[in-house]
Amino acid sequence: MKLARTAILAIASVSLGSAAIVQAQDQTEEPEMSELERRLDVDSVLFNATIKEEPDDDLLELGRLVAMGSSENGGSGMACITCHGVDGEGDGSGAFPRLDGQAGWYMYKQLQDYASGDRPNRVMSGIAQRLTEREREAVSAYYAAMPSGDLDTAHGSMDGTLLQWGGQLAAVGSAEKGIPACVNCHGAQGTGLPPSVPYLAGQYAGYMELQLELWTDGTRDNDAMDVMSTIAKKMTEEDMRAVSEYYARVSNPATDGAEAQAEYDMPAAE
Amino acid sequence: MATELPKTDVVIVGAGWTGLAAAKELADAGQRCVVIERGDWRHDATNFGAPEEHDELKYARRKEHMIDTPTKTLSFRNNSDQTALPMRRLGSFLPGKGLGGAGIHWNGQLWRPLPSDLQMRSHYAERYGESILDGMNVQDWGVTYDELEPHLDFFDRVCGTAGVAGNLNGETQEGGNPFEGPRSADYPNPPMKASPPLQMFRDTAAQMGYNPFHMPSANVTKAYENAYGAQLHPCTYCGFCERFGCGYFAKADPIICIYDVVKDHENFELRMNSQVLRVEKSADGKTATGVTYIDENGQEVFQPADTVCLNAYALWNVHLMLVSGLGTPYDPETGEGTVGRNYAYQTIAAASVFFDENVWSNPFMGAGALGMTIDDFNGDNFDHTDLGFVGGGYISANQTNGRPINYQPTPPDTPSWGAEWKQAVRESYLHHVGIVCHGSSVAVPENYLDLDPTYKDAYGQPLLRMTFDFPENDRKMSAYVLSKAEEIARNMDNVRAVGTVNRAAEGESYSVVPYQTTHNTGGAVIGTDPATSVVNRYGQMWDHHNVFVFGACLFPQNLGYNPTGPLMGLAYWTLDHMKNDYLQNPRPLMDA
Repeated sequence: MKLARTAILAIASVSLGSAAIVQAQDQTEEPEMSELERRLDVDSVLFNATIKEEPDDDLLELGRLVAMGSSENGGSGMACITCHGVDGEGDGSGAFPRLDGQAGWYMYKQLQDYASGDRPNRVMSGIAQRLTEREREAVSAYYAAMPSGDLDTAHGSMDGTLLQWGGQLAAVGSAEKGIPACVNCHGAQGTGLPPSVPYLAGQYAGYMELQLELWTDGTRDNDAMDVMSTIAKKMTEEDMRAVSEYYARVSNPATDGAEAQAEYDMPAAE
Repeated sequence: MATELPKTDVVIVGAGWTGLAAAKELADAGQRCVVIERGDWRHDATNFGAPEEHDELKYARRKEHMIDTPTKTLSFRNNSDQTALPMRRLGSFLPGKGLGGAGIHWNGQLWRPLPSDLQMRSHYAERYGESILDGMNVQDWGVTYDELEPHLDFFDRVCGTAGVAGNLNGETQEGGNPFEGPRSADYPNPPMKASPPLQMFRDTAAQMGYNPFHMPSANVTKAYENAYGAQLHPCTYCGFCERFGCGYFAKADPIICIYDVVKDHENFELRMNSQVLRVEKSADGKTATGVTYIDENGQEVFQPADTVCLNAYALWNVHLMLVSGLGTPYDPETGEGTVGRNYAYQTIAAASVFFDENVWSNPFMGAGALGMTIDDFNGDNFDHTDLGFVGGGYISANQTNGRPINYQPTPPDTPSWGAEWKQAVRESYLHHVGIVCHGSSVAVPENYLDLDPTYKDAYGQPLLRMTFDFPENDRKMSAYVLSKAEEIARNMDNVRAVGTVNRAAEGESYSVVPYQTTHNTGGAVIGTDPATSVVNRYGQMWDHHNVFVFGACLFPQNLGYNPTGPLMGLAYWTLDHMKNDYLQNPRPLMDA
């Protein structure tokens, strides 16, 4: 089943596809719930979105409310969409990753870890603590079910050699430095391995670079067995920048169905 | 005429665990080492990364990391009355090739021998009387557990072994293996996780009065800097250990643990794609002068050396000795000669446990050494009086993988194909665990290695010929240990069916076709008597004092454990005596 991407969201200003243009958020518009529910018929989307059980329309509806800033306890105090966007597109500042189509369980675990302090973050900890368990599940499922694709973000000009090095680290790692390849866990195309491993393809370079730095200094250590710290500590700042800039340029497969995914067999750096 | 190269101090045949350990230790001791390896250069980062490495068809079925049988194989028969035929496909065992050798595609189950294992003849003779060993070539190793302990401990710190100590300096520890020899230090890393079936095995075994513990694992559980300063990463339980390299730097292997810290050493040189043909001897035959090999360009060259280290796979070490005329070949008619004598294997049986839908095993989350084990029926940990056999094995619920081609468990009496089979796989895949009986193997006069009279390899050399069948002793042992495993399986909760398989069942001959284990042992055994051993207790050949031998070919008989731990303990023991005694004054370290 291939859904026409433009039919998925009732946001007139967003035309999706490989040349998607994300405009300034218009919060008066909301994703059409029925379209998000229909996407749950696609196995890959469902698997991506599954938290503890299969999401249903109630969960997605609640997730939408949480994203808009409402919740059982009178709201988290902030709407997710304020920073991460109504479509989950985030921004390139380095602080706000894109969430659209990200692995649902992964996002749910991050919320749990923000709340508990396992992933320290002054902004997110307070927000996550004010959400109930079910609200964390709901908003994670909601963004996981959101269709993703390439953002039309402007990548700064980049030294080709450095980009090439980033691609090499991603694909085969470094025998000299003892760095395993990113594709080991994050998938051949950088699309992650739901439920627990997030995608890197099309994520903001600034965000990924910052996370690698946080792993290096031990601020972040909430992944399974702290594997990422071990890896990040072997990387130089240049390595981090190279691999982050590389993945930011890898095409993020449109997640509106299996057919669409097949079009992205060969990701390539720009 | 072979080209003669400049002489080196030490030539090392094979770049696996023992070869690279020898190179590292001897290079540090000031010896110029040349390592000769038949296979390709490779590295964990560049060659073993997922998703390419997680190709079950390529690596597990087509065995890309293993020896090429069209180039190098052996011939096989069950007994001397048969005519051996070449093994044209790998099956029962899987020797490796390339940098890291079989240490790349192992599971990482890292054991120590029991103290009594190393003194098997004297131990059994003392406890039960010598006659219990009638008809067997069971021998003492000539080296004791206490002597090997520092070296076993060192190798634990090379691998970052994960586990729970059962005996720390003589004090029994809760949760460990109470039968193990004393450890001078705890495991470097905490044990692996226990999946639900492993927890059930642990609880059931404990209720039955046994002593369950986490299998010692070289799948590293925390970020770890090893004894050489190499960095290892935590295991992700991806389920691709055995038959695969580990791209996560999580399964200790010879490349990341040793090669990376010796590769730039001024005394280290590695020559890949080079096939050693034979060890050359001096005119008087008392010493070796070096090795002749075919280099990467197909040229035959001679590498002279003061010292020769044989670090090939157990079987190929024996083959090299036989084709080089090192030592005296074993003659089964007279019982004389030692090279090829005491070949032994591993006696494998298993119980297959099928749970109902309430128990989820999720086998795709596994690791090569993810296991819960009891050692109550291994070695001489139990009374053998009137049992009619010696030896034993560990019983272990293992969750190594759930790979799609090979992992299709079905309960007994399921058809082997068709709709019913598919239904059974669907029902069983997520609700199953295997319990392996990893049994010892005694040496008997009838089982041995020699050269095949008919078949030759790609280099024109006669094939190694293996003559082997399971000794009666081991068949009895296997049936006994399997019955204990089955009993545990049936006592577990939520079990709807239990199947068993016994490779050494009465009435069935050993077959080289179904995979069992790559634990071939013996053929060049260690000891204190030149009439029954090829090397002295330091791993030095009796007949050629500048030839040192490494690996499982040294085992006088096979113990109930995986061989990597014991053979690496022996390797570091030998290297210790080379560095601190032999090299200063090259001579026989023991009087014949």
